Amino acid sequence: MIEIDQELCTGCRRCNEVCPVDAIEGLQGAPQQINHDKCVNCGQCVQICSVYASAFDEDISPREEKIQERGLLTTVKEPLFAAYYQGQARGAQQMLSDSNVYTMVQCAPAVRMAIGEEFGMLLGSLTPGKLAAALRKLGFDRIYDTNFAADLAIMEEGSELIERVTTNGVLPMFTSCCPAWVKFVEQQYPELIPHLSSCKSPQQMAGAMFKTYGAKVDGVAATKVCSVAVMPCTCKQFEAKRSEMADSGQRDVDLVLTTRELAYLIKAAGIDFTTLREEGFDKPMGTYTGAGNIFGATGGVMEAAVRTGYELITKEAIPDVNLECIRGGEGVRRTSVTVGDLELKLVVVAGLKHVIPLLEAVKAGKADFHFMEVMTCPLGCISGGGQPKILWPGQREHAVTSRKESIYEHDRNLKVRKSHENPEIKKIYKNFLGEPLGHESHHLLHTTYQARR
Amino acid sequence: MNTFVVANPHKCIGCKACEIACAVAHLPVDINAAAARQTTFLPRINLVRAPRVTMPVQCRQCEDAPCANVCPVNAIAQQENRIVVHSELCIGCKACMVACPFGAMDMAIQEEEQSILQVANDRGAERKKVMVAHKCDLCTGRPGGPACVEVCPAEAFVVVNPQKLIRNMKEKRLASAWGMLSGRR
Repeated sequence: MIEIDQELCTGCRRCNEVCPVDAIEGLQGAPQQINHDKCVNCGQCVQICSVYASAFDEDISPREEKIQERGLLTTVKEPLFAAYYQGQARGAQQMLSDSNVYTMVQCAPAVRMAIGEEFGMLLGSLTPGKLAAALRKLGFDRIYDTNFAADLAIMEEGSELIERVTTNGVLPMFTSCCPAWVKFVEQQYPELIPHLSSCKSPQQMAGAMFKTYGAKVDGVAATKVCSVAVMPCTCKQFEAKRSEMADSGQRDVDLVLTTRELAYLIKAAGIDFTTLREEGFDKPMGTYTGAGNIFGATGGVMEAAVRTGYELITKEAIPDVNLECIRGGEGVRRTSVTVGDLELKLVVVAGLKHVIPLLEAVKAGKADFHFMEVMTCPLGCISGGGQPKILWPGQREHAVTSRKESIYEHDRNLKVRKSHENPEIKKIYKNFLGEPLGHESHHLLHTTYQARR
Repeated sequence: MNTFVVANPHKCIGCKACEIACAVAHLPVDINAAAARQTTFLPRINLVRAPRVTMPVQCRQCEDAPCANVCPVNAIAQQENRIVVHSELCIGCKACMVACPFGAMDMAIQEEEQSILQVANDRGAERKKVMVAHKCDLCTGRPGGPACVEVCPAEAFVVVNPQKLIRNMKEKRLASAWGMLSGRR
């Protein structure tokens, strides 16, 4: 949940300028309130807020109290700002010290190109190896990766799109990996819910797989497994807590940490992140492709889906794996790709407020496209509400563009760049899931939505 | 004459971006992320928030600086176009805080420890941290000029330098002369 500290907020209302859903209410100059029915938990307000608790202000409740209220570790030294996110770092610390728990962790793509910033590294530093090493040092039993689940999501979502196109299903299809976007559809456009892909987000797919396939691979009881997700996002905790996200028989994801919270844990454990030797993620669910990795930037899901969809339909290699026409910045991008004898019309939206005219068109039956990717944050997850908070406003754009460069650099340098070529994905379908959209996939990897109006 | 920075309370929205920018601009190293900073935030500008007024307050770089005049160890001095605290000389007596009519002076805890003085705590005793007078230095040496002015989203700050002040005086004098003329008609 996103909250605004009533003692600290001065009512400058700059948060309102970045809120995509007008959820911040209050008079200019007075403390603001968040309308949680409207709020999609994107955390952009947390990123922009510059009102903090001064060390010399004696009229406010003590720092220790605020730390408690926010669920922060007591070791956190950074200034406390008015707009904040209620985290779960304490729970993670507790769970890591419990020897009866078998911990499996996953990291979203955008975490590895931002977390270094929390340790004074250059903006956008690419540190997957240090990230894996830090997680192992923290004591996680299995270091898995959301990127693997992103590859899995492409298999399911790509197949779903092909099925919808070939069987006259509901079109256009919308991506469903951004939980803030999903909540927005549920509350503002419930009549368009059938357009959302039934695929769970990579976080939730990973969670469901950890407690089934993962538990089986390691020979542990699913009830002993604690599944933790590290996300650049302040809405992923909300998603993990949705009542339906328990297809493994337990909560699929038990705890969600933001990039910032993981940095707190690493600091509290006295780990020097910058000098860590690079390590790898664990097999089987830490093996990923460039396609899974680019989910962290706007257009990434679409590009990954096209890389795979093209080859599954035409049975030919895609002419150029770098689909520059899909990449870009905030706003709406339209493109089309010819796949066999089908011309697929695609739309990519970065920044939730830009989607409204498109949704109105869909509602009016005037949509002229097949597939739409929507990310709530301005440039996708790399600019998420749970990412390192950049203090100097002039550096914010530089931070996000550097993270974006790193995400594509990582993709370029990975040997396998198409989700369907991930060897562990092939194995998981062969040994466990069967086939995309099959019975087991349907049970574990797909979900339903609820109208909130 | 000294240059100074002053904010316009009619424009200020109270976002404290100036305080953050001030604290960041005075760090010894480049720090981007909030959590990378491990020590207390020490801005040299303070946002005042009271019913009917919101405005950051900072040093006016007085020509006959009361802070410098009361300093028993001459740690506050005129330097180029500003009043500067030489923190290595400061003994933390707080006379400058009392003397400043604007409330622009603060005491800031430093990273370094004192050579002799100790403070008792539950682990026994440890050396007391150095505490020195602390105020706006117009961001000496910063290429972009004062950080607060650059960062303010409401453009509430004005850098008042002697040239600007003299030009302004001339304009006002001319206006008052014209005023007298039109008044006589």
